[in-house]
Amino acid sequence: MMINPLLKTTALVAVAAAAAAPAFADKASNTLNVAFTKELENVDSYFNSSREGVVLQRAVWDGLIYRDPETNEYVGNLAESWEWIDDTTLEFKLREGVTFHNGEPFNADDVVYTVNFVADEQNGVKTQRNVNWMESAEKIDDYTVRIHLKDKFPAAIEFLSGPVSMYPNEYYAEAGPSGMGLKPVGTGPYKVTDVTPGQHFVLEKNENYHDSPKGQPEIENIDIRTIPDVNTQMAELFSGSLDLIWQVPADQAEKLATMDQFTVANESTMRVGYLQMDAAGRSGENPFTDKKVREAVNYAINRQELVDALLKGKSREIYTPCFPSQFGCEEDAATTYEYDPEKAKELLAEAGYPDGFSTPFYAYRDRQYAEAIVSYLNAVGIDTDFKMLQYSALRELNMDGEVPISFQTWGSYSINDASAMVSQFFKHGSLDNTRDDQVLEWLDVADSSTDPQERIEYYTKAIERITEEAFWAPMFSYNTNYVFTDEVAYEPTPDEVLRFTDMSWN
Amino acid sequence: MTDMTDPLMQDVQGPSPRDLLKRRVKGHLGLLTGVGIVGLLVLVAIFAPLLAPHDPYAQSLMTRMEPPVFLGGDWEHPLGTDHLGRDYLSRLIYGARVSLLIGAVAALISGVIGTAMGVAAGYFGGKVDAVVTFLINVRLAMPVVLVALAVVAILGGSLTVVIGVLGLLLWDRFAVVMRASTLQVARRDYVAAARSIGASTPRILLTEIMPNIVNNLIVIVTLEMAHAILLEAALSFLGLGVQPPTPSWGLMVSEGKNMMLFEPWLVLIPGIVLFLLVLAINLMGDGLRDVTAPENRS
Repeated sequence: MMINPLLKTTALVAVAAAAAAPAFADKASNTLNVAFTKELENVDSYFNSSREGVVLQRAVWDGLIYRDPETNEYVGNLAESWEWIDDTTLEFKLREGVTFHNGEPFNADDVVYTVNFVADEQNGVKTQRNVNWMESAEKIDDYTVRIHLKDKFPAAIEFLSGPVSMYPNEYYAEAGPSGMGLKPVGTGPYKVTDVTPGQHFVLEKNENYHDSPKGQPEIENIDIRTIPDVNTQMAELFSGSLDLIWQVPADQAEKLATMDQFTVANESTMRVGYLQMDAAGRSGENPFTDKKVREAVNYAINRQELVDALLKGKSREIYTPCFPSQFGCEEDAATTYEYDPEKAKELLAEAGYPDGFSTPFYAYRDRQYAEAIVSYLNAVGIDTDFKMLQYSALRELNMDGEVPISFQTWGSYSINDASAMVSQFFKHGSLDNTRDDQVLEWLDVADSSTDPQERIEYYTKAIERITEEAFWAPMFSYNTNYVFTDEVAYEPTPDEVLRFTDMSWN
Repeated sequence: MTDMTDPLMQDVQGPSPRDLLKRRVKGHLGLLTGVGIVGLLVLVAIFAPLLAPHDPYAQSLMTRMEPPVFLGGDWEHPLGTDHLGRDYLSRLIYGARVSLLIGAVAALISGVIGTAMGVAAGYFGGKVDAVVTFLINVRLAMPVVLVALAVVAILGGSLTVVIGVLGLLLWDRFAVVMRASTLQVARRDYVAAARSIGASTPRILLTEIMPNIVNNLIVIVTLEMAHAILLEAALSFLGLGVQPPTPSWGLMVSEGKNMMLFEPWLVLIPGIVLFLLVLAINLMGDGLRDVTAPENRS
């Protein structure tokens, strides 16, 4: 094999380069060196929308509730218990004796301040959907607090265990989002000792961490650097100046796994890749308004091959317009389309396109997957004019209704409820290219009902119709690879969140 | 009349200019190498459908990134397969079409624009010259890659857009050189003679000026061809040039980049071919200059 000598040379070069690197990663110094691929705009978790932000949020702050990533059970974190007073009021008994990293004690005032601040649209929280279901918070006594909802919102507990974390009222009032971004203060298992915005984050174990379901932190220091290029990340991993990298592409992870100095752990994520088609004809006359054409697209894609050869790991074929673990996402309700290019050609001929047709095809990420998908479409006679755009540019174009077909993905913000995906795209919003009144009606019922059985029933109906009409071509779920040195012990969870508290040295 | 068979006269006459040219060509290794490689790649591009062992678009995800023969692969795919299981040799062969087409057409467009402007400026002088010189300065002040990136980003990448953008951007060197050469030639006696016997301006430009500056033109054409090919590769590498699944060498380098650490041949093969083509075109251009205008050699 040619690979090994080459690898050795590369590793040697990398070692030479890393000799000059500042931090030295190892068990002896009790510092874990981690790489982020993307630049994080602001550490304040309400003012970024990236995966990296979620990772830091879980390390630095706590929510009232915690969802066990293994059992999906909700347990109290900053709250000891909670109950529904009525359909739109939640009451929490808070944990006593918790202090923030700056010494400020945690009590009802912090909850009231945080909730009222983030729920106010004026304050411009980045992902409004995470917080705009809350109306306000009200202090009952020092350790009892009520959160008022704007409307019935069955996923409230899920959101409170996820993106809604508690900030210290006095400090936040003074520092604001930008100050919080530079010197974050929370109750979490790690405190932030140094922030170079977008580049470098240093965390230190919180010795006084309360008895949280997250568990106590073991590793003393976490040193996170932004390294955009995956080849550089791997070179640093070889040289030992990084201990853990994640979101490693499948091909590279496979090669790293054969080197047996690294642990390669693969976990599924909630992100689903799908083709969105303009069934409503928003972009003018286009073939995708015809159900037969949409079915043909569904039959043209070899989902199994995509999963086996490109995505690998714990990815799987998806036929639902949501991720099957999500509440209400009933897989059995979905019509499945087995790979059948002949049938696809027949359907195209029946629809009046015996020689196929030509269409612009848009994508914004995973060029390799997009190319493979385009090639399947080409094979049944759908000629494509491939356009790769930035996410924001494609989103804008899509909102204006100018996209006949595009390769999209949606990660549902790791929210384990079908409303986070199917209701996002089929309720006549600006990104809805289907505009189906029947689906809208059913989703309205499912989204606002507090009866779980009724919710399942109506999501099922919606999924049945969406897949039967082939409005989308859902294809596969994503996975993510975590690669770390043998010195590190860690078991990743399926929600794409790095949990530093779960890591230790071997 | 002189008798051509007179041995004395033959000695005085010496070899004809054509014989001299032939002799210089034969003695110029760089030119021969350049012409050889370029000629070979042109033939490959023309006969791509006959030469390519596979359909360059045929995807086979189950046989992705198979190594080339010299790294332990098999002869089914002599240069291995790419990240979507497409035959690398076939894509390389079809990629030659894209590179040469872009190089040739972009050089043609910019050549026509630049030559017209340069000759007009050099021959007419005065206001025409002032305007052309101004335009050249404006053009020289624009960073080519940046402008090309911006235009392609706005219009969307495709073969036609890339050719158009490069064609409209790369005329500056033509204009500069053609203007200078025309200035030189236009003052010669034979041009004055042609004018004095009443030859029309188009006739003077076509039959008196052009033939005497065409050797400079050829050199610039080759330089700009190489320039356009490299720019296309750069644009495609950045994802703004030719769009997939069209095979382009720049795109192939970009697609192989992520696996560079483990499968370096994915980048090396198209990289080497691109390097060879650009080197050959430059050798050819240099050689043509040496051979056709030896008095200009520095």
